[in-house]
Amino acid sequence: MRITCPHCGARDAQEFSYLGAADLQRPEGMAASEAAMADYVYQRDNPAGVHRELWYHGAGCHAWLVVTRDTRSHAITAVEVAKARKAGAAA
Amino acid sequence: MAETATLWAPRSAWAGIAQAGQIGAAGPAGVTATLLDGFGLATLIAAPGGAPALSQAVEGRLGIALPATPKIVSGVSHDAIWSGPDQWLLRAATRDGFSGLLEALSAQAAVSDQSDARAAMRLSGPRVREVLAKGVMLDLHPAAFAVGDTALTSVAYIGVHLWRLADGPDGSVFEIMVARSMVGSFWSWFAASAAEFGCQVSIDRSTGRG
Repeated sequence: MRITCPHCGARDAQEFSYLGAADLQRPEGMAASEAAMADYVYQRDNPAGVHRELWYHGAGCHAWLVVTRDTRSHAITAVEVAKARKAGAAA
Repeated sequence: MAETATLWAPRSAWAGIAQAGQIGAAGPAGVTATLLDGFGLATLIAAPGGAPALSQAVEGRLGIALPATPKIVSGVSHDAIWSGPDQWLLRAATRDGFSGLLEALSAQAAVSDQSDARAAMRLSGPRVREVLAKGVMLDLHPAAFAVGDTALTSVAYIGVHLWRLADGPDGSVFEIMVARSMVGSFWSWFAASAAEFGCQVSIDRSTGRG
């Protein structure tokens, strides 16, 4: 599998490390119920299909990326820089 | 104590690892490796939004603008090498005045002197791409990797930073830089990979150190 890093271009997946789902929202820790925190920490979807996930380009530019990948075919439809997404969300 | 301090002598990153001479096949060398030493090197990391000001400061002093994409830009005595978003390596041909330059640039960026932290070599020769193809996962053909392109990648699980300089008489010329602590492992990969083509090794001691 190759991932096209927005900074570096197409690279072998060996250069990246996988973290997991990209769109988890951490509940407000002081207010959330124990069940909601347990969900956030332990429960993950395991979709057969399109999945947005975090990858770290550790052997390249050291950027965190959000990769949209089909888990059945490994077809990658989008790669974004996670930092840009975060900045956009904050604005 | 003063006597103890005098026992510390600067030592090349290549000392005890590689020496000048021919390795592998005899006859005309397919690859030429020049072990580089004595250069000044620093990482520059701009604060968010600070890259244009930093680039301006570097251009004002050295006449080279910082590349925004994976490129190396060379001036008379310095190179600016892209090393990640808003990050660069600044290389000086010698260390004269280098600490003063870094001091001045530290107003615009997080600056860290790495002069003794990396080992670098220049590679050329008619078979150079065949050697690199044994470890580099990138296409280094001139059609895919132009003069002035740079890449951070890994070779034999070792992180490397490489770039392509202007062509020499034997075609493509590359420089490749690795963390000093990994240079023994890197050299063992390189020497084994280059052996079948024959490799002429020389040392460029800009500051007379070896």
